[in-house]
Amino acid sequence: MEAQLKNDLVKVFKSKLSSQMLLNLDTCSRCGLCTEACHAYASIPLVKYAPAYRAEVVRRIYKRYFTSQGKFAPVMGEAKEITDAALIELKEAAFSCTGCRRCMVYCPFGIDTQQIMSIAKLLLVAAQAEPETLSMLADMSVSKGENIDAFKEGFLEGIKGLETQMIETWRDEAGADPIPTDVIGADLLYVALAGAHSIIPSARIFNAAGEKWSLSFFEAVNFGAFVGDPTKTKLILDRIVNEAKRLRVKEVCICECGTAVRVAKQLKGAPFKVVSLTEVHARYIRQGRIKLKKLPGSYTYHDPCQIARNGGVYDEPRYILKHLVDDFREMSPDPKYNWCCGGGGGLVAMGDETLDFRMQSARVKAEQMRGSGAEVVVTACENCHTQLSDLNKHYGLGKEVRFLSSLVADALLPEPQGARG
Amino acid sequence: MATLYYLILVPMVYLAVAVFVLGIIWRIGRLLAAPAAPAPPPIYPSRKPAWLFAMGDAFLLPTVLRHNFRLWLALALFHLGLLALLLGHLELIADFKILQVIPHGIFLGHGFVGLIVILCLIYFLCRRMASPTKELSVPEDYLLLVLFLFTALFGAQMDWARTWYDYSGMGVDEYRAYLSSLIALKPDIEGVSGSGHSFMLVGHVFFANLLIMAFPFTKLMHAIFTFAMNKFRRG
Repeated sequence: MEAQLKNDLVKVFKSKLSSQMLLNLDTCSRCGLCTEACHAYASIPLVKYAPAYRAEVVRRIYKRYFTSQGKFAPVMGEAKEITDAALIELKEAAFSCTGCRRCMVYCPFGIDTQQIMSIAKLLLVAAQAEPETLSMLADMSVSKGENIDAFKEGFLEGIKGLETQMIETWRDEAGADPIPTDVIGADLLYVALAGAHSIIPSARIFNAAGEKWSLSFFEAVNFGAFVGDPTKTKLILDRIVNEAKRLRVKEVCICECGTAVRVAKQLKGAPFKVVSLTEVHARYIRQGRIKLKKLPGSYTYHDPCQIARNGGVYDEPRYILKHLVDDFREMSPDPKYNWCCGGGGGLVAMGDETLDFRMQSARVKAEQMRGSGAEVVVTACENCHTQLSDLNKHYGLGKEVRFLSSLVADALLPEPQGARG
Repeated sequence: MATLYYLILVPMVYLAVAVFVLGIIWRIGRLLAAPAAPAPPPIYPSRKPAWLFAMGDAFLLPTVLRHNFRLWLALALFHLGLLALLLGHLELIADFKILQVIPHGIFLGHGFVGLIVILCLIYFLCRRMASPTKELSVPEDYLLLVLFLFTALFGAQMDWARTWYDYSGMGVDEYRAYLSSLIALKPDIEGVSGSGHSFMLVGHVFFANLLIMAFPFTKLMHAIFTFAMNKFRRG
């Protein structure tokens, strides 16, 4: 590795050393309690998948450049220089961690391994060694924000196609403008994912509830967060923030995408509230704005880590399911300890490149799904849905994997309260 | 030998205290000087008041209790033992009425506290030599445990000699005179350097000095950082 690059990487590392990060790096006692918390270690018991080991890969570099122990007695903490080999280790550590933060629940100090992994990801970005797929996707999202006019026509054309589908299926409920866009003064801006599955069911529910809403021109997913590039993360989020400000909405509703919900909810001082789609649906039911019929079969719910453990949305999905089904079975006795699906942190977005690892490292999740005894596994995150579907197929679980929003849309009673005329 | 005893019992003690105090100030100062960053979300479900639950996490180690009872028991006994020994050392410096609410001899536990601490340290050492903790460990982890173990072994020997074997050649009065002289900056090691057991005191002080000096530069800082860390987790 060239000396210049090494110096640059040390500077990049330094830029991440906030007071909280220093605490994360300085407090670990390597007790190993976190090892059993990680689904990857529980499924593939190799120490490189233990959260403390992953963190140690970063911590050893930290010790070498930023601690007196690392400078005067490097052998004590096995302090390490940044080298090409270290970058390979960093990449393996960062992209085998889904950022679920289950290890944080086990750690006696609450060390945030995901935060430590954000250093690894940033170093990889600076060394141009990050996964190309994620970087490319992030660049495309940023570019869309910069040239919205170039994308707008194609987007609206696609929406027209979806509206036709909606009118064909739900003639009475679709209304005059089934999928409104660019509505100045709308109460709610819905930020969906690219794809009919993320737009049509939600549009049906918004319309049924009589919501004054507008569909965002941008997709919710934040590939900048997956790749670990804070600049791109901000640029991608800013597209939505600017649109929400322009439309003067009261609320930004993020679709079923865990990372997007988490990134948006971390916004401070915005003139609008950020909510997840699940929270909005629970509110509609509570306010009597939509009525649901009961669906047959047995159901379990997978809490997406970024929405539940890291976002606090535990009660709402259960409240919705209580109105949807009679046979609900908890997947984990305490949802805080629910296993991660194994697809977060950009792993699902990297597609087939990570498929083998995802399937092996989430064996415990597959066992948990099987153990629930439910016929249908419900979730509220795109990544989780893809990963759970892959697990279902790989392990031959014979389950049906559904989005919570699509269940709500399917269960809407034909004459919802407060529907648009 | 006398010179070596003197170096360990006097200048090295002052050096250790200075390194400890300045080191801690430096570590905390560095932390305070570091830029603040947007805090990541806490772990949910959150419980209020967060600071109270964070204190509970730091003192009672509920996450360890839930997932590894044996480790929790060893950690609880070890830390409580350390606290009792710390109080015992305070009572060697001066009489604290508050510490004698329940009247007891100097050093609680009749020698058993030291024994428990030593057994816990041996457990920690064995645990560290077994997978997966073994693969996570770095030399610092072993070194600190060994320093703790030697400090406790030499210290406990002195206590056992007094309490279990009625050894009276060197006791509380001599320790008090030595510690008081150090605090008064008029070091006098005469009472603690001529006994047959003096090598135990010298060994105890030597390893304790190393441990105290290592404290600010090693993971032992978790004793201080745990409160802030747990508060972050609680939000």
